[in-house]
Amino acid sequence: MTLAFRLARRELRGGVRGLWIVVLCLALGVAVIAAVGSLRAAVNAGLAADGRALLGGDLAIDTGPEPVPGALRQWLAGQGARTSEVVQMRSILVAPPSGRSAGQRQLVDLKAVDAAWPLVGTAGIDPSQTLPAAFADHGMLVEQIVLDRLGLKRGDSVRLGTATFHIAGVLTAEPDRVATASILGPRVLISAADLGSTGLLAPGAMVRYAVRLTAPHPAAIAAAIPDRFPGQGWRVRDPGDAAPGVTRFIDQIALFLTLVGLTSLLVGGIGVANGVRAWLDARARTIATLRCLGASPALVFAVCLIQVLALACVGIVAGLLIGAILPMAASGLLSGLLPVPPVAGVYPLPLALAAGFGILIALCFALWPLGRAARIPGGALFRDGLIPEGTRPSWPLVIVNVLLGGALVALTILASGDRRFALWFCLAALATLVLFRAGGWLVMRGSRMAGGVGGPAARLGIANLHRPGAPTPLMLLSAGLGLSTLAAVALIQGNMARQIQDQLPENAPSFFFVDIQNDQAPAFEKIVATQPGRPEMHIVPSLRARVVAVKGVPVDQVKATPDTAWALRGDRGLTYAAMPPAGTRLVAGHWWPPTYDGPPLVSFDAGLAQGWGVRVGDVIRVNVLGRDVDLKVASLRDINWRTLGINFFMVASPGLLAHAPHSNIATVKLPRAEEGALLRAVTDVLPNVTGIRVRDVLGALAGLLNQVAAALSITGGVTLLAGAFVLVGAIAAGQRRRVREAVILKTLGATRAQIRAAWLTEFGILGLVAGLIAALVGSAASYGVMHYILHTDWIFLPATLIYTLMGALAIMLVFGYAGTSAALRARPAPLLRNE
Amino acid sequence: MDATPHALPSSAPLAEPLVRIRGLTLTVPSAAGPVHILRGVDLDIAKGEAVALVGPSGSGKTSLLMVLAGLERATGGSVTVDGQTVTDMTEDALAKLRRERIGIVFQAFHLIPTMTALENVSVPLELAGIRDAASRARSALDSVGLGHRLIHLPGQLSGGEQQRVALARAFAPEPGLLLADEPTGNLDQATGEQVIDLLFAMRARTGATLLLITHDPGLAARCDRQVHIADGRVAEAVAA
Repeated sequence: MTLAFRLARRELRGGVRGLWIVVLCLALGVAVIAAVGSLRAAVNAGLAADGRALLGGDLAIDTGPEPVPGALRQWLAGQGARTSEVVQMRSILVAPPSGRSAGQRQLVDLKAVDAAWPLVGTAGIDPSQTLPAAFADHGMLVEQIVLDRLGLKRGDSVRLGTATFHIAGVLTAEPDRVATASILGPRVLISAADLGSTGLLAPGAMVRYAVRLTAPHPAAIAAAIPDRFPGQGWRVRDPGDAAPGVTRFIDQIALFLTLVGLTSLLVGGIGVANGVRAWLDARARTIATLRCLGASPALVFAVCLIQVLALACVGIVAGLLIGAILPMAASGLLSGLLPVPPVAGVYPLPLALAAGFGILIALCFALWPLGRAARIPGGALFRDGLIPEGTRPSWPLVIVNVLLGGALVALTILASGDRRFALWFCLAALATLVLFRAGGWLVMRGSRMAGGVGGPAARLGIANLHRPGAPTPLMLLSAGLGLSTLAAVALIQGNMARQIQDQLPENAPSFFFVDIQNDQAPAFEKIVATQPGRPEMHIVPSLRARVVAVKGVPVDQVKATPDTAWALRGDRGLTYAAMPPAGTRLVAGHWWPPTYDGPPLVSFDAGLAQGWGVRVGDVIRVNVLGRDVDLKVASLRDINWRTLGINFFMVASPGLLAHAPHSNIATVKLPRAEEGALLRAVTDVLPNVTGIRVRDVLGALAGLLNQVAAALSITGGVTLLAGAFVLVGAIAAGQRRRVREAVILKTLGATRAQIRAAWLTEFGILGLVAGLIAALVGSAASYGVMHYILHTDWIFLPATLIYTLMGALAIMLVFGYAGTSAALRARPAPLLRNE
Repeated sequence: MDATPHALPSSAPLAEPLVRIRGLTLTVPSAAGPVHILRGVDLDIAKGEAVALVGPSGSGKTSLLMVLAGLERATGGSVTVDGQTVTDMTEDALAKLRRERIGIVFQAFHLIPTMTALENVSVPLELAGIRDAASRARSALDSVGLGHRLIHLPGQLSGGEQQRVALARAFAPEPGLLLADEPTGNLDQATGEQVIDLLFAMRARTGATLLLITHDPGLAARCDRQVHIADGRVAEAVAA
């Protein structure tokens, strides 16, 4: 081994021209994975560091739609806790009747706080003042965007429900913002003491109550609550769980980005294999000399492996450095996009993981060519000056290579938050590699069969695709893998955007109106009916219910599939109906008779039923306004959520529930020009009713999706860059051969135009095939994500696929043109003279 | 000039010279200063003549051949081939000239390693737009005794076989001028003799003009005339 190191060191001293591609490819892939991991860790550190402030205390108890009971308040006081109560709901803020934006409406996320708020941290107010001063005389704090949209300024009066407030200042910092975030409307902060005057707290209103506390022993309080207040279904959170939605979101985005990063590392792996192979080809005579001087295959293998690993380490370390520094450098840019400021620092775990991926990729892709080189007898190398095709490494090395591949897959799956998805990614990546390899084989086979097609230049170009040692499969893979990733990202993004756009004109209502009291329903219907534009309206009862048990199993022990578990958490909408809603499609059981007045029945969402293991006849226990109600499943319905109409996953039979206090929810569809007038008319007469414009919600969602898509596109672009490196490497590896060929062709009378046309034919065909396969892979991947992960329809987007195809063609032609230009510039005489 | 009684001055008037070289110079830059490879060569080669270019290594023989073939740009002087001034021509015009009028055989064969023997011979015919390129290439390989090695790659052929493929490639387009740079330099004596016999037989059959670089006096003697190059100049010309 000492000898191997000594020989390797001597050879490294002479330079490692040809292995630069290994360094570049590994550095790029490792940098992406390390950067994504570090950023995720930095955000999580931000969440952890500010957990108390984000949560608003040592402990938060969300009591859902029920006000915090006095018993809980007293018990907490008895435990020595300082408490603060917060009420949250959506409402409409109405600008004053006169002025620039007279009477305009703005959907807002209303938060009413008590005098103790915030227990942790400080609220930022512009101009600086205390909260009691701001709230005095019906004062209100709003986000700047509210002022901008409604054209208001400090001191102006606004209406909220039935009460009038004055704007006391701008809320510039809200310590518990992340834990109570809403994308639907900007924040409005009022005093809880003023909430009653708004008339918004009508029975059945969609409102959420929470109490936060600081105490010497918060953990003991958290542990005692289930026993002290059994069956309440309250959600108790500590600072480690301050913003579970944010954590989930960050984890999922990080998963996608890591997998895209892994794709670029995979592309880098192809570059490693190609770089090592080209390097070994160029060193064939040196290896042959060593073999002739008595070096064993094992020694040759060790000498080469040491050199490759040394270079791989340089690449990996460079990638780790970039990956560690980049998030710190970019934190300023990202601070506006991330929910919490990332904590700058070096995070060893994601760096170690990225290094692990880098080492495994380097070994997986380098061992095969290294093993082949070691198996070649010295004489064979002298004869051809090339490592012959078709030689495979020794069996032990093949087994080691397979094991390393397995380790790579295992690490990918184990390091992922969603292991099933990661497994599918690995399978898809493998299938993609096989597909490109098969595509390469088909191109070579097809070009061999099409030998006589076209003029001399075209024939020469086509023949180049199948000649011995032609890099056809490698070129396809280099250009195609990155493009496949980009195509998949573009198709997913396009599908989401298209669905949001396409829903609106056809099916979607213009408004959701919530919190319509029973006695307000006739007035509401009358207002809508008198609006111009022939509005379509649907109004249904709306109750809030919390699932307590499924088939007798307490909710916290129900084994639901990951994509259906959301419906078991918190309070959900519930309605009742005598007749099946329009468009109902029953897939099991029967609807109850219109006059049914027996024990409560429920028609349940078929998708959730499958995820929860529920069948017709099973019982789901729900808690409605503090009372447990057993609902027997009478039928299962196939619900198309994308219609954006009113849909509840539980529709109960009337009777018992009709007598419970509740409000109503309505959808109204009318021409866009009439939307403003309708909102004005409803909120003027029924100030507690909140109108949510569907277009605004979808716009907010589209904005969020665009941010995610931008992150994915950037990462996908890195994959394309990795592919470009590999492509350049592949072209560079074959450049000597091309220069030699160009010189001989020139000697035989080929014009520059003929040689260029031949090569551009070759590169053009490669580009088209790479584009076609990339479009196919991108479509399949986007179909998988849309259908199996997002559970929605996949739309064929031909324009995106054409862009992919054109992109592949352009990339290949540009690189091909650059390569040919360099080869055509070569002077023939020196080459002809020297050989 | 130390000429023999049979010596002909290099600039002696010839009937219909196919190649006319006047005052040809070639200077290349180097780190140690400019290197003067050709220092004013004057030479005429008649149509159908076989000329051996002899001289010590480094005397400028190969450079002269390269300039003549348009593969190297002269620094000064002029070269005309069949009435066309090579030294004034563009790259593409030179390629066309080679394609139509000049065949070249190298010491190192210079076959395209990834093409079969048949493809190697077909290439110049295809470049010239000849429709039955493949069948003509097949006949050319038959004529050099390699009809059974059509689909073999250069790496699968012996040195002698490779040079025969190169000969077939050079003669297939039926050029008026054949340039050969030490065609037996990489071959053993017996194989070399076979290749030379083949070369002269093909030349006799096609009537091509031959300019042959060689160190072999016996081979030089088979040509109509020997031109000695020394230090970048024509030292003497000797009729066979």
